Amino acid sequence: MSIRDKAAIVGIGETPTDRLGSKPGEPRKSSAEYISWAMRLALEDAGLSLKDFNGQGLGVTIPTAYPQPFWPEEVAEILGITPGFLLGGATGGAGSVSLLGGMAAAINSSLIDVALCIGAAAPFSEHFGGGIQPGDMRDWEIPYGTMGPNSKIAMVMRRHMHQYGTTLDHLGKIAVAGRYHASLNPAAYLRKPITIEDYKNSRLVADPVRLLDCVLPANGGKAYILASTERAKKLRKRPVSLKGFGERSNPSYGARAGSDALIMGVKDAGKVAMEMAGVKHGDINFLELYDDYIIVVYLQIEDLGFCAKGDLGYFERTDFTFKGQLPIQTGGGMINCGQPSTAGGTLHILEAVRQLRGEGGDRQVPNAEIGLVSGLGVLPYGKNLGCCAVAVLGNEA
Amino acid sequence: MAELDIRKPLPAITTEAKPFWDAAAQQKLVMQRCQDCRAWVWTPRPSCFECGSERVEWTPMSGKGEVYSFTVIRQVVGRAASKAFEPDIPYVIAWVDLEEGPRMITNVVGCGVEEVKLGMKVSVVFEQQSPEIWLPKFKSQQT
Repeated sequence: MSIRDKAAIVGIGETPTDRLGSKPGEPRKSSAEYISWAMRLALEDAGLSLKDFNGQGLGVTIPTAYPQPFWPEEVAEILGITPGFLLGGATGGAGSVSLLGGMAAAINSSLIDVALCIGAAAPFSEHFGGGIQPGDMRDWEIPYGTMGPNSKIAMVMRRHMHQYGTTLDHLGKIAVAGRYHASLNPAAYLRKPITIEDYKNSRLVADPVRLLDCVLPANGGKAYILASTERAKKLRKRPVSLKGFGERSNPSYGARAGSDALIMGVKDAGKVAMEMAGVKHGDINFLELYDDYIIVVYLQIEDLGFCAKGDLGYFERTDFTFKGQLPIQTGGGMINCGQPSTAGGTLHILEAVRQLRGEGGDRQVPNAEIGLVSGLGVLPYGKNLGCCAVAVLGNEA
Repeated sequence: MAELDIRKPLPAITTEAKPFWDAAAQQKLVMQRCQDCRAWVWTPRPSCFECGSERVEWTPMSGKGEVYSFTVIRQVVGRAASKAFEPDIPYVIAWVDLEEGPRMITNVVGCGVEEVKLGMKVSVVFEQQSPEIWLPKFKSQQT
């Protein structure tokens, strides 16, 4: 049994991105305010009301900076929903893509008919204190002076450059394409186009990771509404069908003997999702890849099988812009639109929906029918990213 | 001097890891090895991550390895405790592949940051951080 074409995205909501609260006296909003705002936008988009979700699905991504284990339940209280099926998206930045699979399975089994998936974070305007680090990070990383994800991704990036001869020109092409798309996206945060030289000359943050390699933390809220295929047909927007889904947590690349820290779990998750959807690489019109760092986007293009590992020529000859052979990050990605903690990954689902509805505006991928979205989360010891979820979306069920 | 009060964060001595820290205090590097499937198991845990066996035993390591990759920390960011590392800047965070197979996150010490290279052969040294904690770090085998 498969969940192919059993559920469709029927509404999306996204608050503007901001970084308010970092300076004294700036206006501030709470996570709860971004959550309510994102829900209202999603309900308006779908033409549904709060009451439609009583006894239905609610999925909530669990942010890193809010160490409260009952957050999904609290969100139900904040919003005034009485869900019949409540899921927490606990796979870090992969959470919103993971929820697509979980909610589609619940819809397919007739537990529910519709689900609201939502998340928000306000890292600049809310401060909850430290939180607890995972044991491996606390005991085997931080005592050596590691500086968060930058340190580990810097080691992945350096190794890739060493092993395959990857240069800043190869990586910078990804950064330039993303920013170009952001310049065409009124909702992006960083919109001034950049050149390869701008990328190469940006400040070293964690050698060889540079400022323009890194995601931009931000405040904001994001939501989508998933409905059964039958229900979706009766709603106002063109349904975007979930055609394939795959997930891998704790992929074995990394800490074990003889393992390869340059391969990501999307290799397995992508294969499962594409087989479920019945699509091949040539069928996929665009990619929206989780982008905490440029090198992470680069690795995923390899690991999803669009080229062989270390095939530099592929990156040299491929046009990654919206009119090119393989459009990626068509709205600019989180690197240019901002990352409200684990809710950030929802951005890629929302952009894929816009493209598949034909709402891409100046950055619309021509004849877009199939898009692939990934979500990644957590940086476990000795590996790249721990939780990898992939969804294939399409505008025909 | 308030800044002297900022201490480097120390690992918790968990029940799983206590034998590791006891050995490190004796200048010995040990890791768990599965007595059933012979896999090396790192970081410390109650069972083998290859076969699930709970027969994992602390076993001496050669203490030799090579640099798989590294980064140079030139700026502290994030948590308040990170400030304690400021006097060490610039310093190297590395992934070291041990001869037996496991990959450790550690520091390469005893040489300039510009001398560290991928593939560089290194061996373990222990730096005392507290009465109980001696952190295994690595230095070039050439020095």
